[in-house]
Amino acid sequence: MAEDSFLTDDLLRQLISVGEVDLLVGVPSRNNADTIGHTVEAIEESFQHAFPRQRVVIVNVDCGSNDGTIDLFLNSSGRKNASSRGITSLRTEHRVVARYENATQATVLRTIAATGDLLRARACAVVSAATSNLTADWVGNLLQPVYRQDFDFVAPLYARQRFDGLLARLVLYPITRAVFGKRIREIQSGEFGFSGRLATNCTTSDMWREPSIQDLPQACMTVTAIASGYRCCQSYLGPRLRPVAAQTPDIVTAVRQAVGALFWCVNAYEDYWMGHSANDTVPSFGPDHELTDDPVTVNLERLFELFRSGVAELSPLLKTILAPDTYAEVQRLAACDERKLCFENMLWARTVYDFAASYHHTLLNRDHLVQALVPLYRGKTYSFFLQHAASTAADIEADSENLCLEFEKQRVHFMERWKSQTEVST
Amino acid sequence: MAEPVQETLPQPVARKRSVAQGSPSLWYKDAVIYQLHVRAFCDSNNDGIGDFPGLTQKLDYLQDLGIDAIWLMPFFPSPLRDDGYDISDYNAVHPSYGNLDDFKTFLAAAHNRGIRVIVELVLNHTSDQHQWFQEARSSRDNCRRDWYVWSDTDDRYKDARIIFLDTELSNWAWDPVSKSYYWHRFFSHQPDLNYDNPAVFEAMWGVMKFWLDIGVDGFRLDAVPYLVERDGTNCENLPETHAIIKELRRRLDDEYPEKMLLAEANQWPADVSQYFGNGDEFHMAFHFPLMPRIFMAVRLEDRKPIIEILEQTPPIPDTAQWCIFLRNHDELTLEMVTDVERDYMYDEYAKDKSMRINLGIRRRLAPMMDNDRRRIQLLNVLLMSMPGTPIIYYGDEIGMGDNIYLGDRNGVRTPMQWNGGWNAGFSGADPERLYSPLISNPVYGYQGINVEAQKRVPHSLLSWMKRLINVRKSTKVFSRGSIEFLRPANHRVLAYVRQFGDEKILVVNNLSSSAQAVELDLHQHKGNIPIEMSGRNLFPRIGELPYLLTLGPYESYGFRLRQL
Repeated sequence: MAEDSFLTDDLLRQLISVGEVDLLVGVPSRNNADTIGHTVEAIEESFQHAFPRQRVVIVNVDCGSNDGTIDLFLNSSGRKNASSRGITSLRTEHRVVARYENATQATVLRTIAATGDLLRARACAVVSAATSNLTADWVGNLLQPVYRQDFDFVAPLYARQRFDGLLARLVLYPITRAVFGKRIREIQSGEFGFSGRLATNCTTSDMWREPSIQDLPQACMTVTAIASGYRCCQSYLGPRLRPVAAQTPDIVTAVRQAVGALFWCVNAYEDYWMGHSANDTVPSFGPDHELTDDPVTVNLERLFELFRSGVAELSPLLKTILAPDTYAEVQRLAACDERKLCFENMLWARTVYDFAASYHHTLLNRDHLVQALVPLYRGKTYSFFLQHAASTAADIEADSENLCLEFEKQRVHFMERWKSQTEVST
Repeated sequence: MAEPVQETLPQPVARKRSVAQGSPSLWYKDAVIYQLHVRAFCDSNNDGIGDFPGLTQKLDYLQDLGIDAIWLMPFFPSPLRDDGYDISDYNAVHPSYGNLDDFKTFLAAAHNRGIRVIVELVLNHTSDQHQWFQEARSSRDNCRRDWYVWSDTDDRYKDARIIFLDTELSNWAWDPVSKSYYWHRFFSHQPDLNYDNPAVFEAMWGVMKFWLDIGVDGFRLDAVPYLVERDGTNCENLPETHAIIKELRRRLDDEYPEKMLLAEANQWPADVSQYFGNGDEFHMAFHFPLMPRIFMAVRLEDRKPIIEILEQTPPIPDTAQWCIFLRNHDELTLEMVTDVERDYMYDEYAKDKSMRINLGIRRRLAPMMDNDRRRIQLLNVLLMSMPGTPIIYYGDEIGMGDNIYLGDRNGVRTPMQWNGGWNAGFSGADPERLYSPLISNPVYGYQGINVEAQKRVPHSLLSWMKRLINVRKSTKVFSRGSIEFLRPANHRVLAYVRQFGDEKILVVNNLSSSAQAVELDLHQHKGNIPIEMSGRNLFPRIGELPYLLTLGPYESYGFRLRQL
């Protein structure tokens, strides 16, 4: 049966004119009129300074913008030809647009990967049109390791506020490191780089139809790169500014999308990680990720209350998901004095692993299952804030390392739970 | 352009058989110029060096090729330390090339065939063996002392760049005879003349009158930006230099109408365009920055470099014209490119360091194109169809090779290859006596690459070049028309419409090594019928929709657009 085509004829017509390229940068957008001009400018500046000889294209995959984003993308002047005698790209810098009305992020990313595949790009990068502080160096740092050093996947490293990115710090990174055996800190970022080889591999994958990854598919590319043996690295970009509130998903959505996608990957790549116990660092370019001390406001009281009420409300469900001793310990935490709550690393690792194993076994709606992790994540976050209210960046890093070690230590527990035939009843 | 069907070739345009007084002005705009060195073309007396009688014998070949003018490189008496650009006597012919009578005979024969003759004149400097310099250095009190630029120190004009970086450390050289420094922008054996001295100007005008009275049709003036020096400047393109050129032009127009001045000014278009003045300086000037960008565009398979430089080219007076070329006797100069572009050109066209000299590449056209006939043709189509008067460097019409192991630029100045016989038909001398070894390698050697062999084959490069020149000369659109670039999404296709009066020609070039499809927005020409110029075949009428063309690798089309 013929498969529905996700690439439009209009896009194909544009690609025919572009022809083979060396470098491709994909820019997903939706109503990013405020920032897309800056994005194009930064990308073209990168081309002109770092890749003046290469054949290049910028691919804007737009999801129904109605604020003129596409026009701005196509017509922004960039910095090209600032001086006829200065540095400029030797070649035509192409811009093409793929227009979708309601595409998921999976379709967006698949379109970029497929474009890289069709144009035989050697190095591709994805940058977010919403990132207001994108610079030419960011683009270069994502493309260079692939183009010049033959890496296949480049994860970003950022300078973050020390309480920013906790979902990555407390869940995504420890799992990636412990289960898949690669110390890649940012697996769900809006910015990353990949090779044409990986693009080809991913384009033909079945993963794009999976509902769990439709909103945050980046982790799947990361895990595909790891599990398929591609060369991975990390590259420092710069400070990651917190997106404005309107563009930030609430915590429930964030956990459902990010953790759900990662759990799906754990499930899909079972064969890989079951037989693969190594734990490798990956090469990093530029400084390591950094923590900053910018002020942050957190309503701790509310956070704790949401933890306690969530545990209470979801108690029957949690009882089926968690191992009995883990469940009992969680109940004890929910009942304790909020000033003394300490969500120990071992307990947190076992909790997350129990959820991942249940995701594997469950007949329960997986979205609901993942959402049941939210109150516990709030408890861990609350505990993290209490513990590190006065910590230095080094203290936080040390604690994160301990957490990862605990995840690695509890991997045995996880595999036991994974292999058990217990199914969670609805 | 596409290989034409022999039977449908356009008939040659009727050619004037002589260059007569009263022939149309602006002839230089419509001309196809052929550049040669008399030394390298044909040796009539078997001394191993080409000469004017030999060149005269070969005029039929040049007439048959279809060129309109010959640009002769310096043929004056000279110690030949810079291939004749170090002139020691402006009013004579180097004895190796014949004598003044031989030159006059050649000139008359050329004119009889409708071929004009442009001679090279070096205004900026002389040889240090010139009588003027010998007198000037003999004594600080000599009446010719002030004909050159002297100084007791070597710290004046510090802002002037050194042009021959490979050989010169300073623009000043110490003269041990008169114990002072003299100024030279090129080799130290080429002292610059002092144009602040009116006597120098008059002397050089006297030189020009000498040759104009003999009948030459124009001058290619060498190194014009450097005539005058001033402290605190880079000593290039100074207003005083322009004033000198204006006065030369005024006198030329007054006394020798129809004669032409061509500027050699290796500068950016905006700077060179100043040398056209208001139509009162040079008639023509080389467009140096375009040439490397043509090579770059073909290697990049991207039209951007060509369009970019032509967009930076300012308009010039109606009577003025750019001169364009692919290769010449010098290195392929990379002065007028960015560092990034220069590095790219070196990497792509001169990986072997011995291919490089100064800021350029000392190679001929065919080897630079890896002897790929399709690319050689593409470049020639660009040469013939872009705005400007094209110059063909001798031997490039048959795809001659080079010898990068000869010193200086001599590797692109080897003897013309006429046939596969003794010394390639260039000379009857012993091969060891030739002024330069012949190209004899199996790929470019004269045994295979020569005029006689190619004349016998209708589809040889030489035969194709004749047809291309014929197409070029079949209309004034190429020589005088405007250019409008089309910008199809496919960057590998360079397409433009040339227009002169009501006549329009669409040129479409595939710069890439693979077949391309292109959609051209020709709605402004809706209703026109494209007629391919080589084969005169009709193509579908242009409508509202984008006009779809497919082109093979490095393929070009020229279409007359006719509203019928």
